Parts: sequence; C-alpha cells; structure tokens
Amino acid sequence: MRALVVDDSRAMRRIVTRILEDAGFDVLEAGDGQEALDVLETQETPPELACVDWNMPVMDGLTFINHVRQRPQWRATTLMMVTTESEQGQIVRALAAGAHEYLIKPFTGEAMVEKLDLLGLLPAPTGDLT
Amino acid sequence: MTSTSAPDNELVLAAIEQVWGSMLFATADPWPADQPADFGSGVQAQIELRGDWNGRLVLTCDSDVAAQIAGAMLGAGPEEVLPALDVHDAVGEVLNVVGGSVKGALEGVSALGLPGVTECTAPPAPGDCLVVSWRDAPVYVQVVPDAAA
Repeated sequence: MRALVVDDSRAMRRIVTRILEDAGFDVLEAGDGQEALDVLETQETPPELACVDWNMPVMDGLTFINHVRQRPQWRATTLMMVTTESEQGQIVRALAAGAHEYLIKPFTGEAMVEKLDLLGLLPAPTGDLT
Repeated sequence: MTSTSAPDNELVLAAIEQVWGSMLFATADPWPADQPADFGSGVQAQIELRGDWNGRLVLTCDSDVAAQIAGAMLGAGPEEVLPALDVHDAVGEVLNVVGGSVKGALEGVSALGLPGVTECTAPPAPGDCLVVSWRDAPVYVQVVPDAAA
C-alpha cells in the first residue's frame, strides 16, 4: 500500500513516514496542499492513504481535502487529518469536508497505528502460521 | 476546561509536559531558579495566537539543546549531526504542537499561526518566562501578549 504524507514540517513528515513505513506503506511526501495535489497528479493510481496537516503555507489541509473530494479518480484515497487543531468544531469541519479520520498532535505511533487499523489499512499479518 | 484569559504558566506547562512525553520521550520539570545554565548561541521559535486573546508563544533554548530536541524527535543516533534546517524545523514543530494544545484550552482563540524560527544570542530574563528542563538544560517559554510586543 502507498501513503502520501502532507505536512510543512520536515520533522513531522519524517516521524509520520517512519510510522507508516513500519506499518508496511510506501510513502510519498509533500510540504503543502498544492504540492500534494501536484504529487497526486503524477500518480497512475492514487495512494490508499493521505495523512494531512491542517495549517500549512500555500494551501492548507482543509482546502486540499476539498480539492481531493471533488476529483472522482481520487475518491478511493482515505484521508486522515493529522493536526494540532483540537477543537470539536474543527474536527466536525474536517470530517464534513471529507476526512475519514482525525488524529490530534501530539500523538504516539501506537495511536496512529490504531487509526490505521480502524480504517482497515493495516496489511494482513504475514507471520508464521504453523 | 477552557479559559478566555491569557494562557497561564500552568496551562503552558501542561502542554509542554504532553509534548515532551509523547514527541520527545522525556519529562519536563520546572527548572530550579537558582540553577545556573550555559547559553552560547541559541534558537528561538515563535508562534502567534489570534482571537479573543492575541499574542505569541516564544520558545528559546541553547543551540546544543535545540539539536538534542531535534535528535530526540527524529530518532537520530547519538553521533548523527542534524543540519541546522532540520533542527530549526523540529524546534518550530515542537512549539507548533505546544501552541495547538494551548489554543485548544483557550476559549475564543480561533487561529494559530505558522511557527518561525531564528537564532538568538541570549535567553529571556528568568522572571519573564516559564523555564522547564530538557534533560539537564533549561528551555525558556514566554507568553507575550500583543500589547507587550
């Protein structure tokens, strides 16, 4: 599976990317919403997941989600807002715009993996069945 | 619980403790007022809060401390030297997340700015800020209302 991490902080992109790679994802990165749209345009098939920060320069995460939801070819991408915006009203806005999940910073790797599990985005276990 | 007044030290300390614990895997205790600390060159991050209360949060620390914070956040090895760009970005993101927690506890505050990070040569006066520990060094956090800017 593939994921797109959209955050203006290089440090936060690195943290989220590491969590997702450990969970089995191949990860693409973008530094703002517009750059993320540009990345999506280059993909033959869209990634299964996009983790999107809210407050970013150039294009914020909510605007990015609105753009994605207007494009039928990107509807299969699950959108997870990963942000410091913690007020209930902001969470409702993001979900109404089309986000499927919402994770508030600061978060732990375990919390993100739990969200992925809830979304059905964790690869099936491949452990020893004997 | 929310508040319409300026964020007080208790609220800011709670936000710092949360960020230290979940992002930096460390505890944030108040720095003893009588304990001296070295400060060569420093890093200072600022972020604005806009709404019923207007002002900014300012986080200042020694450059070596900033590098340690970035290393902890990014899981860098003990010998790994991070570029200044990554150190500044990490310190800015730490303050961004602290600011988000503070914003969430302030009734009426509606917008958090983007963090800015610069270099500095001196810490703020201890009486003007909250001083917390990062390992064995201090980190200074100020709440600066617009009128005092």
